[in-house]
Amino acid sequence: MAFIVLVNAALLAVLLAIPFLFDSYIVYQIGLYLIYGIAAQGIGYLWGRIGILPLGQAMFFGLSAYATARILLHFDSLSLQLILLAGVMLVAGLTAFLFASVVFKGRSDSGPFFSLITLALVIISEQVAGTATAITGGFNGLSGYNTLAGIDQFGGLYLMIVGAVIFSTVVLMSFDRVPFGLVGRAMADNEQRLQLLGFPTHIIKGAAFAVSAVFAALAGILFANHQGIVTPTSTGFLLSANLVIWTAVGGRYHVLGPLLGAVLIGYLSSELRDSFQYWEVLLAILFIVVVLKAPGGLGELVDKSVSRLLVTKKATAKRVFHDAPPGRIGNWQSAVQFNDVHVKIGPVKILNGVQFTTFPKGILCIIGPNGAGKTSLFNAITGGLRVSRGEINVDGKSISNRSPHQALRSGIGRKLQVPSVFHSLRVWENLCLSMLAGRGRIPDYFKPSSFHWQSRALQQFLSVPHIPLADRSDELVSSLAQGHRQFLEFAMTIAAEPRILLLDEPCAGLSTDETQLMTRVIKQYQTANDGLIVLIEHDMSIVKSIADQVLVLHQGKVLANGTYDEIKSNDSVRDVYAGGTK
Amino acid sequence: MKTRLIKLAAAVALATSALTGSVYADIKIGVLVPDSGPSGLFGPSTRNSATLAAKEINAAGGINGEQIELVFADVGVPPAEATQAALRLWKGQGVKAFIGMHDSAVRQALLGLFKGQVPYVYTPVYEGNACGKGLYVTGETPSQQLAPVIPYLMAEKDAKKWYLIGHDYNWPRDTNKLAKQYIADAGGEVVGEEYLPFSVSEFDSSLQKIKASGAEGVLITLVGGGSVGFNVAFAGFGLDKQAIRLGTLIEENTLAGIGAANANGLYSSSGYFAAIDSPVAKSFSSSYASEFGTDAPVLNTLGQSAYDGLKLLAAIAAKANGLAVSAMDMVAEGTTFESPRGKGVLKDGHVAQNIYLADGTGGMFKVVYSFANVPTSEGCAN
Amino acid sequence: MSSVLILNILWQISILAMVTIGLGIVFGQLKIMNMAHGELVMIGAYAPVITASLGLPAVLQVPVCIITVGIVALILERTIIRHLYGRPFDSLLATWGVSILLREIVELLFGRGYQSVSSPLPGTMSVLGTDYPAYRIVVIIGVFAFFAILIAWYRRSAIGTEIKAMVENCELAHACGINTSRLSSLCFVFGALTAGIAGMVLAPTIRIEPMMGLDYLIRSFFSLVVGGLGSVEGLMLGVGIIGGLQSALGAAFDQTYGYLGILLLSIFFLWLRPNGIYSSR
Repeated sequence: MAFIVLVNAALLAVLLAIPFLFDSYIVYQIGLYLIYGIAAQGIGYLWGRIGILPLGQAMFFGLSAYATARILLHFDSLSLQLILLAGVMLVAGLTAFLFASVVFKGRSDSGPFFSLITLALVIISEQVAGTATAITGGFNGLSGYNTLAGIDQFGGLYLMIVGAVIFSTVVLMSFDRVPFGLVGRAMADNEQRLQLLGFPTHIIKGAAFAVSAVFAALAGILFANHQGIVTPTSTGFLLSANLVIWTAVGGRYHVLGPLLGAVLIGYLSSELRDSFQYWEVLLAILFIVVVLKAPGGLGELVDKSVSRLLVTKKATAKRVFHDAPPGRIGNWQSAVQFNDVHVKIGPVKILNGVQFTTFPKGILCIIGPNGAGKTSLFNAITGGLRVSRGEINVDGKSISNRSPHQALRSGIGRKLQVPSVFHSLRVWENLCLSMLAGRGRIPDYFKPSSFHWQSRALQQFLSVPHIPLADRSDELVSSLAQGHRQFLEFAMTIAAEPRILLLDEPCAGLSTDETQLMTRVIKQYQTANDGLIVLIEHDMSIVKSIADQVLVLHQGKVLANGTYDEIKSNDSVRDVYAGGTK
Repeated sequence: MKTRLIKLAAAVALATSALTGSVYADIKIGVLVPDSGPSGLFGPSTRNSATLAAKEINAAGGINGEQIELVFADVGVPPAEATQAALRLWKGQGVKAFIGMHDSAVRQALLGLFKGQVPYVYTPVYEGNACGKGLYVTGETPSQQLAPVIPYLMAEKDAKKWYLIGHDYNWPRDTNKLAKQYIADAGGEVVGEEYLPFSVSEFDSSLQKIKASGAEGVLITLVGGGSVGFNVAFAGFGLDKQAIRLGTLIEENTLAGIGAANANGLYSSSGYFAAIDSPVAKSFSSSYASEFGTDAPVLNTLGQSAYDGLKLLAAIAAKANGLAVSAMDMVAEGTTFESPRGKGVLKDGHVAQNIYLADGTGGMFKVVYSFANVPTSEGCAN
Repeated sequence: MSSVLILNILWQISILAMVTIGLGIVFGQLKIMNMAHGELVMIGAYAPVITASLGLPAVLQVPVCIITVGIVALILERTIIRHLYGRPFDSLLATWGVSILLREIVELLFGRGYQSVSSPLPGTMSVLGTDYPAYRIVVIIGVFAFFAILIAWYRRSAIGTEIKAMVENCELAHACGINTSRLSSLCFVFGALTAGIAGMVLAPTIRIEPMMGLDYLIRSFFSLVVGGLGSVEGLMLGVGIIGGLQSALGAAFDQTYGYLGILLLSIFFLWLRPNGIYSSR
């Protein structure tokens, strides 16, 4: 918090000093690039934190500028203008939210396809702006309106721009310090894990896109006031490309980076373009170098040199926890029922008529040779795999063919075969996210106090002796050993206290001691939670020690079902494992 | 004590600047040219023509006895940045008047910026009807380029059916509105009208429509690369055997891009061609060549217009005894000036001028007819 | 459906196919989103201009084109592209910088004006009952022949198999003794060369100036999006749909709708079927 105030106070001081150091027209020009910088900050947030690269932000920028021009042309009352302009930002945000949520629904990547969509949209936007002369003034643009509150473009407007810059910087820096920012970074890291923690990632992406759209709209509103004219180029591809270039060069991982990029590069461009013939060539080479060698741009370079000068002591503060609010996930007490479930990928039958019902509580182990369909069974339960025929029911309600993020909401937690955690985050951040899973309401994501939640199940887990996580909370997960990541993922999965826990080879890669530890905590969880645990395992000694019942899967079908001893003496099971007839 | 020192320093500074102002500094004239963007290829010829004009004006004593100095800025950029550039010259460098050779969007933006506080001469061919305090337009307007030319061509070439094709913005649309009138008045018929977005670079469907319509004349208000591409494809399809083409912005660079093989029956109506045969035009071309070399950027109506703009500015300033807008506006009407285009007369804020019809067949323009002293119907009559 | 419309559509499809195949190789096989692809076409279109300015006879246009584009592509691959394999966002941005660079360099060398290239085969010929430019007919036939050969060769050749192996599993291919770095270089340069040749073939029919590449870039990209990456059949399908749709809409309504139509179709595909119609996955 203090850091935010410090940085913004310094920024304010610098920006306010400018009118005293330079003439009014230089101030005017810097104001223009600060405006672009606000739009670029939105891009920096979306790209640097969330991992989505928007190639068409000029669409929100330019259309908001057109709307502003129209509002200032047709309405005279200041309060009405302000209300309508706030409406413009709201509309931009809502449209962006709806659009991105719909486009990202049902997928778990933020690949170039979305960037290309935004590219196509901004090209359309420029076309329409150029030809819809009645609304936009066409090629010549829209002009002849007064500024908001009659403010002087060469005087008071600069203060308005500075205010907007401080606002955007404070907001974006605050995101980093509340759980909302953490969720965004987690999504850029491992979207699938976030979905299994019950987060609807398409909604998150929608919200992030909306944030960037609102910033672009704010910049567009200021732009219309600043320029006195809005033309189709302000909603065009070239401006969008420039905004991305300024963001990249300035630094997309730092909140002030894009501002720096826009003001430095943009302003220099307009000054040097006339006098220096090779300026554009130089800029292109600089951009290429940044992309290849310095993806963090100038911001990262500044960061590195600053951190070399100031050696800060990273204080490992003792973390204080308080009880988390109760979970809001499903609380079933009934069994999972597989009703003639078929799953096909192309011509390959993955699950070929699976028919069984689990018991409502206890530990069920699923075993079977490789390729039997065990992990696919889990995928079908949590919704990653489409069930082509048949149904999976819990408590009479079908749970097949849903989005992965709905699994946890129904009380189903899942640990994946390869430990799936957030590698670029710290251990405590991973655990914090799992605490929010299935518990947090929207306001909780904006309160720093939510970082301190801890549930009973997690407390219990961490207090088990020899658990290797308790004293490692500040470490980056990428530096953890594989075995430790297994424990971390297990902790994250039980933090929300799901009634149905799916564990896919939880002991893979663990030493003998660690395996004993893991089986112990699994049993402990089942006892405390009184729910169902379904376990995929290969190691028969683990199965023997832990399973209440064993299910054998072979070639997508249930081969046998019973206690460990019954399965062990079953002939067909022995054949399958010993390489007998298929 | 401190306040007195400050006042003294200020007074000294003021006095020095006043002294230096009247003895050493020339009058700065801002020339806004397109160095980048879609019209970027006209930047060099504009700069050269302006420089030549300044040289001649200074040799004749400058403006009201004071030498002028040209300051250039690139306005081929979006209007937002163009206003920055103009502002830099105006407030930053103390420019006293502007010559603008750029598109209409930039002009609108600059009019909003200047608000009539500084004289502003707009020089290129454009759609007409631009009016304002301190604004003087030398550029040709559609009525000038077409009112005499269309009936002439229709009679000469027996072209009764016309197809109108242009890019989709106001200059082509305004031009065609008038063109339809002139064609009807001369007993002709419009068999098609089409507007293309700037992004399109192939014209096959339009060419088929032209062919199917049986057009005998095509009025082209395409600009830039689109104009070149269209004309190349037109001839490729052999349509030059079916119809003549008339363009109102086909200048020497565009013709070079179209190529000799594709320019058969391609006419251009403009206020200036490098090939104009008058003594004034010829001496202008040779001054240009000796000043900038034979390899210099080709003269064309857009580039050359900056010369006319400066000449007009000097003429009005001479009449008004200075560059104050109010004084200039009072005496501007009726001002005449000499240019390679012939004599120009300022009427209704625009210049009544000679219009030349040139034939591009063979790849080089040949003036086939000139219309003297054509006034515009899109001026500022008030 | 008039015969001229059919020929126009065939022409649009042919040139789009010619221009897109290079991007199909680079984007489809090497996963590089080459935003400088249009500039490679542009440089190829400038080859006749370069040939003339060097004082060489017009027959040498083809080798001049190949050498110029080849050298540019080789330099690009060695210095920039090879760091971008597997990094789609970064390749998009870095090649956008490259496109600006190439445009500026051409502008510095040749100026911003329009260049004109005369057609090697002027005049029209009578085809399907109508007069159509002879040069275009020859090009259409040439393009279709080229693609027929390409499809056949790719299915059967050793290099074709090696490329497929490299795309499927680069490390394994490398372990099998396939020189993946040389193969990627070759692929990229080949893709660039096809773009350059396409530009050179197109030159007599279009305007030639530094900014001309952008339009081809956009339409190539969207053709690949619609048709699907990774196969020549997908490319032909995508090119057919995009080229055909634009021509048809342009003929039925006007050019604005033609262009908007293909943009909207591309958005639709990017949203619902980002792998295209005929994806090999």
